[in-house]
Amino acid sequence: MSETATQTRSHNNYTEPAAANDIQQLSMQQALNRALDEVLAQNPKTVIFGEDCGRLGGVFRITDGLQAKHGEDRVFDTPLAESGILGMSVGLAMAGFHPIPEVQFDGFAYPAINQIVCQIARMNYRSRGTLPMPITLRVPSFGGIRAPEHHGESLEALFAHVPGLKVVSPSTPHDAYHLLKYAATRQDPVIFMEPKSRYWQKGPVDFTAAAPGAAAHDDEPTNHGSLTGARVAREGRHLTMVAWGAMVARCLQVAELAAEDGIDVEVLDLRWLKPIDAEALARSVGKTRRAVVVHEAPLTSGLGAEVAQLITQSCFATLKAPVERVTGFDVPYPSGDLEDEYIPNIDRILFGIQRVLEYRRG
Amino acid sequence: MTGRHTMEQHGHTVEGTDPGLFVEVHEPATDAGLRPVLLIHGFSSSSKLNWVDSGWITTLQDAGRRVITVDLPGHGRSHSPEDLDSYTPSRIRADLLQIVTDAGARPLRDGDPSTGLDVIGYSLGSRLAWEFGATQPDLVHRIVLGGPSSADPLAAFDLAAAQRHLADGTPVEDPSTAGLLKMAQMLPSNNLFAMLSLIEAIKGEPFDPAEAAPHMPLLLVAGEKDERAASMPDLAAIAGKRGGLVETLVIPGRTHTNVITSRAFKEAAVEFLGV
Amino acid sequence: MAEISFPLPDLGEGLIEATVLEWLVEPGQQVERNQAIVELETTKSALELPSPQAGKVGRIHGAPGDTINVGEPLIVFEVPDDTAGIVGTVPKDEAPKRRVRLSAVLDED
Repeated sequence: MSETATQTRSHNNYTEPAAANDIQQLSMQQALNRALDEVLAQNPKTVIFGEDCGRLGGVFRITDGLQAKHGEDRVFDTPLAESGILGMSVGLAMAGFHPIPEVQFDGFAYPAINQIVCQIARMNYRSRGTLPMPITLRVPSFGGIRAPEHHGESLEALFAHVPGLKVVSPSTPHDAYHLLKYAATRQDPVIFMEPKSRYWQKGPVDFTAAAPGAAAHDDEPTNHGSLTGARVAREGRHLTMVAWGAMVARCLQVAELAAEDGIDVEVLDLRWLKPIDAEALARSVGKTRRAVVVHEAPLTSGLGAEVAQLITQSCFATLKAPVERVTGFDVPYPSGDLEDEYIPNIDRILFGIQRVLEYRRG
Repeated sequence: MTGRHTMEQHGHTVEGTDPGLFVEVHEPATDAGLRPVLLIHGFSSSSKLNWVDSGWITTLQDAGRRVITVDLPGHGRSHSPEDLDSYTPSRIRADLLQIVTDAGARPLRDGDPSTGLDVIGYSLGSRLAWEFGATQPDLVHRIVLGGPSSADPLAAFDLAAAQRHLADGTPVEDPSTAGLLKMAQMLPSNNLFAMLSLIEAIKGEPFDPAEAAPHMPLLLVAGEKDERAASMPDLAAIAGKRGGLVETLVIPGRTHTNVITSRAFKEAAVEFLGV
Repeated sequence: MAEISFPLPDLGEGLIEATVLEWLVEPGQQVERNQAIVELETTKSALELPSPQAGKVGRIHGAPGDTINVGEPLIVFEVPDDTAGIVGTVPKDEAPKRRVRLSAVLDED
């Protein structure tokens, strides 16, 4: 373990000065802002930067007020050059910092693919562990805000396919707060995909949940029941819907509608997209024996295929139907006016459920 | 919301040749039921510069007016024909008549406010509008002239000096010629050959406002500091002698170039044409 | 409230400055996207500048006759903190609508 890594690691061991039962109603935007504020306060090696992150506080106000509070050396604006933002992150990580860069929108990550894939993801491997890349890359992701091209894309499969990266996407303000704080204490690079269409909805954030501390000794986020694994967002008996990011909220809506028809749906919020919590999938689908996976990304080679395989691997003998996928189409993400036609809507998801329910062997 | 744009190259030709003029019809969101308005831009300008960027289209659309814009030959997105005839004011007037007819303008009928055509011209466009109104009394309902002059400054343009300047850089002595040439060269989208052809054609048909004056109501508008429009009162007098309604409006502080965006100008035009 | 500053944009074809003719909005006024906010004159033409966004006018820069260089502040908007910022719109929470009904015989074998 290098000196740098040891220094950074020591910050994992802080104890939070949280009062008992400290639960607040916050939007995901506010929860993320608060998480970043605390991370900056607790670890002097963290730095936040990206396009408009400093003075403006980010186009989604996730870094609002942080420059004024923590100074221009630690929260600052960059030129419009994602390759530079991520290239600088590599250098800062080598020099002992924990960069938390922001790529302003999902589609803006493409110019930085070289830095992400060829340096961030494999520097630790390449240096035989002497140069870890403790980088938390925040990417406002997925669609739903009527924005133009490159502002509504789902890159999870692209990132998940790269050895060396971890990928996570929260679906609630509570998870956003805790997962970001957790990611920001990892030694590994984490792609943090924020569902931008869920930035403004409020939900309870329990600041006393001690999961990050408990998980601090566990570098492999696969343990069920903590923030490091998947989360059962709704329990059900007949079918499991697997989703992440903004699709979790939609699947919960669909589950309520399915209940009207007597179908009891379980919703599994995957949270970690690399590595995927295969145990949670096995546990849920082992019980319900039916599964539908829902994502905004295009169908072909999407993460739904990986999920379907993991389910088939563990539940093949008891599955009542092939795993269904309800996804975006195999087209470039459309402009805002058309995104309701692209993103899986309630009826398309219900159809997917119906196909599974109707399936008969032979 | 702005109205629907129909980007059409007009279909009918006059005298068998197509000058390739770029025409747009701008529909209002809510149609007031009044006759269409034809806009004619100035020298070395375009429908976009003269009418779109300056806010005229949205102002007229907001007033419920259907607007026809045309780029003059060699300007904007129109073609730059090789033949000099395509640039003569008389040929341009004939093309304009075909264009507005194709765009749905119909001869004036008493009691039907949707018939006829209103015309707004600016600078060189004012000259063309004046003559168009004079020659089309059964069609044109009212005219607004911006930055108008009783003499066409293009007719006094020293073509030989300009051509010498373009060939070997010899300075142009006449300040008006030098100014107009600079204006024509300023926009990279301008076809200089076409600009000079237009000037040559205008020299062949110089503006004589008294020869044919419009009878329909006129609104003449100029900036207080517009030297090119210093002769606006002469024009008003010529039209007045014909017995028609003539109103004039001077916009304080404005020049020939910048009077075009003036709210007072637009509001006066909308009101004057809104009957 | 957050502030968004809008600098004088490149008005085309190498223009480096513009002169303010007249402001069409004033501080405190609510403006819509594409609403004309100011009359400007360049060496080539006069034009109306449409608002790049909706919002409340915070400050305006330049009195009539003043020259502003491309890239210098022209107008500052005040926007609510929870707006989507530069791109996109905040999605509305809508009650779920459905057309598809589920039907299944759930044999619990």
